Amino acid sequence: MKFDISYTFDALPRLIEGAAVTLQVTLIGFLLSVTLATVLTVARTIWPWKPFLVVLGIYVSFIRGTPMLVQIFLIFYVLPVVGIDIGPMTAGILALTLNSCAFVLEILRGGLASVPKGQTEAAESLGLPVLTQWRKVILPQVFIVSIPPLVNEFTMVLKSTPLLATITVVELMRVSQQIFSRNYHPVEVLTGAFVLYFLMCFAVSRGSVLLERRLHVRRA
Amino acid sequence: MTRSFLELSQLTTRFGDTLALDNVSLNVTQGEVVCLIGPSGCGKSTLLRSVNWLQPPDAGSVWLDNRPVGQIPETGGKRAHWRNPDLARQRAKMGMVFQNFNVWPHLSVLENIVRAQMVVLKRPRAEAETRARALLDEVGLGDRADYWPDDLSGGQKQRVAIARSLAMDPVLMLLDEPTSALDPELVSDVLGVLKTLAQRGMTMLIVTHELGFAAQVADRIVFMESGRIVEMGPPADLLEAPTTDRLRRFLDQLSTLNPFADAPHAPSAVATGA
Ligand SMILES: Nc1ncnc2c1ncn2[C@@H]1O[C@H](COP(=O)(O)OP(=O)(O)OP(=O)(O)O)[C@@H](O)[C@H]1O
Ligand SMILES: [Mg+2]
Repeated sequence: MKFDISYTFDALPRLIEGAAVTLQVTLIGFLLSVTLATVLTVARTIWPWKPFLVVLGIYVSFIRGTPMLVQIFLIFYVLPVVGIDIGPMTAGILALTLNSCAFVLEILRGGLASVPKGQTEAAESLGLPVLTQWRKVILPQVFIVSIPPLVNEFTMVLKSTPLLATITVVELMRVSQQIFSRNYHPVEVLTGAFVLYFLMCFAVSRGSVLLERRLHVRRA
Repeated sequence: MTRSFLELSQLTTRFGDTLALDNVSLNVTQGEVVCLIGPSGCGKSTLLRSVNWLQPPDAGSVWLDNRPVGQIPETGGKRAHWRNPDLARQRAKMGMVFQNFNVWPHLSVLENIVRAQMVVLKRPRAEAETRARALLDEVGLGDRADYWPDDLSGGQKQRVAIARSLAMDPVLMLLDEPTSALDPELVSDVLGVLKTLAQRGMTMLIVTHELGFAAQVADRIVFMESGRIVEMGPPADLLEAPTTDRLRRFLDQLSTLNPFADAPHAPSAVATGA
């Protein structure tokens, strides 16, 4: 069988639609995950209540110690059992969020450790309220040092989205499957998906390099 | 009951087995400049940091301007938490300057000085900026408002930190070894700014190893050792006629480290700083 690129081009419009869904679930999942991880990071620092820390620790080790596919299935099938009926899309985003959050928590922990204690003490001694200290002094510095690992995490989330095809989210991978199960040209179709995945990841990491360079020029 | 302007009473702070502050009491009157000296680890920083409750003691109380900054009721060792609803406002009245500056690196010099004014004092941005620029002029950094802190020298960063504190219109300045992280040639700029402040009647509590500077600006020098105040008095008495062996030993040690340090009236870089 010869490689016929016209199959790739024919599939392209639908593949791009799929890529848009991929990008959408990635963005939403990632933003939710960063938000959740930020809130949890602030909470566990200003309120280091032992049971809370233990639960967080257990959550992180479960997420890191189990296959993501299992997590996705669990959320997709368990929630309806307990009476929460959400579609595959919401379940998928929820799975991405909960999974990624465990990793972002670790990233932010590292970023937080890099902010000297004196930074907060200066804010505190000026009379800034605790949450303002976080908003204006601590978190900006945490995020600046965390850009590279956060961007990496974003691409990890993006690359894990094909798993959502298994719970019928019609993202790039599932669209590809739908197409090649009809035209029997998996190589051409998947090549298209391959290139689209790569372009998305590439654009994101390029963008972050530029962003970082700007921040460094600003602060060099 | 009238209280002193700043009243520290019976402060005790433990770190594990270390008694960092051992029942320390100290009163400071308005406009007074007090320099804290003493060997490393004697509790100078701990004392300074309990004044604005950055490091709450295990026992004791701090009053500023007839209002409590913090007080810990005696409950037999167990730390009872009394939350002072006024704490942030009391803190804003005290400017604190740290050994390592703690200027915020993600904000420009101007923003460093503007932020707390807007948040704590609710000043509109324009007013806060005007004040910030005026202060930068005063500390000799009028042309550095739009710089990033990372582009400044240590001495300049420290002056930004001082301006940041002054922007809050503090009635008391707490300075913890403000020049000891600086290269020798940058020290005098910072000390010059502090001298001007002292001359204008700012109440200050300064931890310093610069005895020459202390002799010039201090109304009173407090010598600490092992978490206690061992001796205090006007610089002339204290530095030239120490009454305790411990202070004498401490001064001897300093003078062997730095031949100019024990001669308060000797001309030094410090004297030309203003
Ligand atoms: N956060 C802390 N945890 C444990 N021990 C501490 C802490 N802060 C201070 N100490 C101890 O308390 C004692 C007093 O420390 P402090 O920093 O007040 O001394 P200092 O007089 O400022 O010394 P230096 O001149 O070196 O700055 C020291 O023995 C120190 O090791
Ligand atoms: Mg100290």
